[in-house]
Amino acid sequence: MRRAGLILAKDLRVLARSPLLLGVLLAYPLLVAGLVGLVAGYGSSKPRVALVDQDHLPQVVSIGGHRFRIQDAIDEVSRNVHLVRMETGEARRALSTGRVVASLTVPPGFLADLKSGLNSPSLVYQTTGGGISSRVTQQLQALVYGLNRQLQKAYVETDLGYVRLILRGGRTELSGQTYDVLGLDRMQELLGRLPASPERARIAEFARIAGIALAQTGNLLASTANPIELHRAREESRSSLLSAQVQSYALALTVTFLALLLAAGAIASERDEAAIGRLRRGLVSMGQLVMAKVALAAVVALALGLAIAIVFGLIVEAGDVVGGQPWARLPLLALGLLVAGAALGALGSLLGALARETRTASLVAVLVVMPIVFVGLVPREVAPVAGWLSDGLPFAHAVRYFSSALYDGSPWGVLARELGWLTGLGLLFGGLARAATRRLLA
Amino acid sequence: MSNTYLRARGVARRFGSQIALEPTDIDVRTGETLALIGPNGAGKSTLLAVLAGALEPSAGNVERVNGVRVGWVPQRPALYDRLTARENLELFARLEGESAHAASADQLLTRFELPSDRPAYQLSVGNRQRLNVALALLGEPRVLLLDEPTASLDPGQRRRLWATVTALRGEGGSVVFATQNLEELDLYADRVAVLQRGTVAFLGSTAEYGRLHAEEIFA
Repeated sequence: MRRAGLILAKDLRVLARSPLLLGVLLAYPLLVAGLVGLVAGYGSSKPRVALVDQDHLPQVVSIGGHRFRIQDAIDEVSRNVHLVRMETGEARRALSTGRVVASLTVPPGFLADLKSGLNSPSLVYQTTGGGISSRVTQQLQALVYGLNRQLQKAYVETDLGYVRLILRGGRTELSGQTYDVLGLDRMQELLGRLPASPERARIAEFARIAGIALAQTGNLLASTANPIELHRAREESRSSLLSAQVQSYALALTVTFLALLLAAGAIASERDEAAIGRLRRGLVSMGQLVMAKVALAAVVALALGLAIAIVFGLIVEAGDVVGGQPWARLPLLALGLLVAGAALGALGSLLGALARETRTASLVAVLVVMPIVFVGLVPREVAPVAGWLSDGLPFAHAVRYFSSALYDGSPWGVLARELGWLTGLGLLFGGLARAATRRLLA
Repeated sequence: MSNTYLRARGVARRFGSQIALEPTDIDVRTGETLALIGPNGAGKSTLLAVLAGALEPSAGNVERVNGVRVGWVPQRPALYDRLTARENLELFARLEGESAHAASADQLLTRFELPSDRPAYQLSVGNRQRLNVALALLGEPRVLLLDEPTASLDPGQRRRLWATVTALRGEGGSVVFATQNLEELDLYADRVAVLQRGTVAFLGSTAEYGRLHAEEIFA
């Protein structure tokens, strides 16, 4: 261990003498993390959907005595979807080339069906086959839900108008003709002028009960239209940029990049500098050499990971953001940074030993980092294969560990499981790296 | 094995499909200077690296007298470029288990007239080679294995190097060196091993070697 410690001290001294390298090693993953955040933000931004109006809807539509502005409906939908008006052929081409992710068609006769109330009119949509189609479908379903709500409100108000007419009477226009409706109130008044008789009493009683029943109709109609309503409460959680997930990904990405690249470059440089032959003469075993590189990755991951966590914590404190325990959980995070750094350092040592030369090792490490990270980012539900692959690599375990260590109320189960994974993977890659050091001596 | 420090038996080395050294038997005797000569690619460096323990033989083994320390000067300086000469010497002194590592480093820096505070990559080719030799002397080795050690040294440094080598041999130590310089062979070697295509074509005293024509050996 003492000899591995001497090599570790040498590597740290060499690293400290390369501030430019250290700066790039730190800046690059943070830059990538930022770009990943932007891409993720773009992924959740409004998808473009073609709107094909084959029914030539007017600017204002009158339904059930209510006027609807079509643009208002589009504006409402545009909160989630960017609707772009297109002709039928243009929309088809845009959909096939991926310029829009879906098309929504208003077929001919839509408005007539809507006004008649006899048939339920249909909107037709098509989506691309990509992973975003389910989200677009949900958003279009939300659009139809929103339109239906507005229509229901109009219909309910129209129905209530008729109810009021039956109750109080008055003039109304139906099918182009004007009618003077008596109404229950005036009917009772008229009944009062008639001579008393059992028949009059019975009719008056019916008018009274009918009036009471119809008075309840308004609330019943409203609640039938919307049995359950969803209200959005005021936000008190973290913004997405300060979320637990972003912090965990930023930490894991930085640690993965640094540990892989450092360990791969450091072990390959022993061969480039021809020092490995001198070391092998009984001074440092190949196992101790791998251990030194693993320790280098772990120490650097710990130092830079904690620095990032502290900066993040300060931002959270300054912003008075709720949620999480940025300071109390730092020791748990430190343990995870060490173990994750070591596991990734072991993988980096394996890559470096296989690549043999520092430049090749660095290039291989950079090329390997991205797939490791992106495989870990793909949700298991979307691609089970990605889930299995990421199980065999340290990145996803590091993300889960960091997230749980920083934010879970009772993290112990997750931490134990992920530590087990990281330790196992570290031992596996370390053993393979030890075997691969034969290539460094060739 | 009392008059032998190193005994190699059947040592061979291949790199993939390429054979660098055929099975070879060779002894390094106490107090002798053994020269390895031969054309480029003959296997001299490979044999030295195997004897030094820097390279694992594909077959055979190298026996060492218990406790004998071996110093190795590879053809290409084996040192850390971003460390200074002092830091290189101190690091390898610690790895060799020297308790007075700083004193050892000081002594060698003075002896080889090396600048102590400049990173190794800033040193001249000659200074890097001197540092390479100085590193081999850490731990007071009884056997010194040198792979073309004087190739990049000026005449003064060559003389000093050979003075060091002669002193080591005078104290009962042994020296094995690979060279292309036949003058060094005549001046310093007791025995000569001629390697050709990974095989020892001749092994005998310098006097025996002198009686033969090179054409006969390399035939």
